[in-house]
Amino acid sequence: MTATVNTAVPAGTTPPAPPRARRRRTINLGEKAVPYLLLTPAVVVMLVLLGWPAVQVIGISFRKLDLGELVRGELVWVGFDNYASVLSNPEFWTITLRTVLFTAAIVAGTVLLGLLIALLMRHLSATVRVILQVTLVLAWATPILAATTVYQWIFDQQYGILNKTLVKLGFDSFQGYSWFSSGASTLTVIGILVVWQAVPFVCFTIYAGLLQAPQELYEAAAMDGVTPWQAFTTVSWPAVRPLVTLAAFLSVIWDFKVFAQVWAIRQGGPDGESTTLPLLMYLRGVAGRHFGVASAVAVLMILVLVVLTARYLQLLLRTREGDIS
Amino acid sequence: MKRLTKLMAGAAAIALATAGCAGSGGGSSKDSGGGDKTLTVWLMSGSAPETLTGALNKEFEAAHDGVTVKYEVQEWDGIQDKLTTALASQDPPDVIELGNTQAPSFAADEVLTDLSGDVDSLNGGQWLSSLKDSGEWDGKQYATPFYAANRVVLYRTDMFQQAGIASVPTSRAEWLDAITKLKAKFGSDPQFQPLYLPGQNWYTLLSFIYDEGGDIAKKSGTDFKATVNSPEAKAGLEFYKQLVDASGTTAPKDNDEQNPVQAGIYGQGKVAMMIALPWELGTAAKDNPDIEKNSSAFAIPSKTAGKAAPVFQGGSNLAIPVNSKNPDLAKDYLKLMLSDKYQKQLAEAGMVPGASSDLSALDAKPVSKAMADASKGGGKAAPATPKWATVEAGQNPLKDMLTAYLTGAKDLDTATNDANTALDAAFKG
Repeated sequence: MTATVNTAVPAGTTPPAPPRARRRRTINLGEKAVPYLLLTPAVVVMLVLLGWPAVQVIGISFRKLDLGELVRGELVWVGFDNYASVLSNPEFWTITLRTVLFTAAIVAGTVLLGLLIALLMRHLSATVRVILQVTLVLAWATPILAATTVYQWIFDQQYGILNKTLVKLGFDSFQGYSWFSSGASTLTVIGILVVWQAVPFVCFTIYAGLLQAPQELYEAAAMDGVTPWQAFTTVSWPAVRPLVTLAAFLSVIWDFKVFAQVWAIRQGGPDGESTTLPLLMYLRGVAGRHFGVASAVAVLMILVLVVLTARYLQLLLRTREGDIS
Repeated sequence: MKRLTKLMAGAAAIALATAGCAGSGGGSSKDSGGGDKTLTVWLMSGSAPETLTGALNKEFEAAHDGVTVKYEVQEWDGIQDKLTTALASQDPPDVIELGNTQAPSFAADEVLTDLSGDVDSLNGGQWLSSLKDSGEWDGKQYATPFYAANRVVLYRTDMFQQAGIASVPTSRAEWLDAITKLKAKFGSDPQFQPLYLPGQNWYTLLSFIYDEGGDIAKKSGTDFKATVNSPEAKAGLEFYKQLVDASGTTAPKDNDEQNPVQAGIYGQGKVAMMIALPWELGTAAKDNPDIEKNSSAFAIPSKTAGKAAPVFQGGSNLAIPVNSKNPDLAKDYLKLMLSDKYQKQLAEAGMVPGASSDLSALDAKPVSKAMADASKGGGKAAPATPKWATVEAGQNPLKDMLTAYLTGAKDLDTATNDANTALDAAFKG
């Protein structure tokens, strides 16, 4: 987005108007204004839909806003009280660390699996590839909560197909095994679910990149007698690297904020051990009705996210052509 | 980005609602009961039966010229979020039903109309004291009682007869004995369960804890202190486990009576008993119409022979949101709802009426009679703190404690101590 604006408005190319040429300056101003005018509608829409709510969230995070204040329409400023109450709670730091690790694990899983399936697709016959692609699209198209319900059934303690299968295979200790009795195991199930839903998009993105790699290069490499690994590192990887980076960046943003699946599976239990930052925000805001505190959590979440994606944002801002790799 | 946008949009909605409310603070015109008006009434699913509300709305509309009652039935699931949004809106419903455990938090936030001056005209002399308490905050009455209900043991009369159980259990020992007999008779069917009891039915746990003479929290001034690690509470939890083990129930240990819906499982006919609210029998009968005539109920037995265990008092309050456009009409509606005529109909529908001490109508049906008997054992509600609603809408430490102890993930002391710490944190939060 930034890159587009930069190329569209080459601010440096117009020489500064000489002070005496009044007429010419007006014309230049008019010409200069055109691109801005053309951009105005988009910018206004962005400001209204994204900018204003963001400002509001920051504003609310400095206010005491419980149900009473909300209904009566009172403005109560409390300075940094909300932040103090969130940050002074040792639980917050545990949850932040848990969220970061959880995000890292599912992003790594998603990108790796997406990459592997994309590479596999290149080697499949047309029919099998179409079947695989349709399957992926179906997994992608399944509504989040429907998929979550199905996963709850799969991992059900008594009637789940997973436990039954494991018992049939001879692992008798899985009779009545509870997958949701510890935070780590609950988060693992949720992680598998999120990865399952996220892989198709990443896979198609990377596969699109693979198609860009010229077939001749593979042929040339084959004539040089390279190993499959060398073919990957020298031909495939350069073609997909920018897309892998992009997919990882987007996945970090999406997975960091996953709420529905985590909440629906066990409401962040047992003992709050699968509570992530988005759940904390929900618990403070909607369940506890402290909207000010919840906004403070939201602002802190954005800060953590900025830190996590800092490297990519840096690349994005530095490059002018939008060529990220 | 989509999710971020959504989040922002949500925040914006709240912000806009706030701004909107600020503008309309004192200006809304109070009505006098005439003209073309709509009174929006939100009652909960499973509360007043349709025959009652139908007659009541008709009578109300006939008495108030030009007034239409917009009657809407809400689901319990997620109701707190819905009420929060509705109360903050420009055009909230005029009459709402609140769970008795939610009422204190709404009262404490002062988002309900103060009804202190209307108690007498709303049949106040007949009010059920525990429900009156949950609608009261800081000496003012913000919500009126509606109805109360408590859990009973629903059981299959035919199965009890075949297993040779002559009379219903009236002590814990007899209860366990009945489970043994049922198992001996029907145990060859692997799907049979003498008692269906999911791991997270904390209402039932509270009943056992009360029976031991304990409670989950102690009030000191305006503060509450959790007492889940008291010897009484531990004894209650141990009996819960004893029941689960004795019955060998296949109900999930890590979920509650709503997931899966236990009435549906009872309806399949392979369960001899379940601890439930009386009208859950009606839900079960939807799947299996025959089950109703083969079912009856008894009060949860106490450890003292011949007595009923004190029950967890569930129930509902009625209130008028502070932003209601028609508060006077709403009060008239409450007056009619709390009148003897309609309270009697509530009792006939199988609920303990909130504004009538006449329980005779409940004796007609055996299940309702069991409930009335059980409530005589003494009912207690959840701690009357505004924070309790947060526990129920968010993460309930009692459920975690039950699951951890029943699955063996934690021993008795660790489970109860952890729950105690978590509850104390919630009371402060």
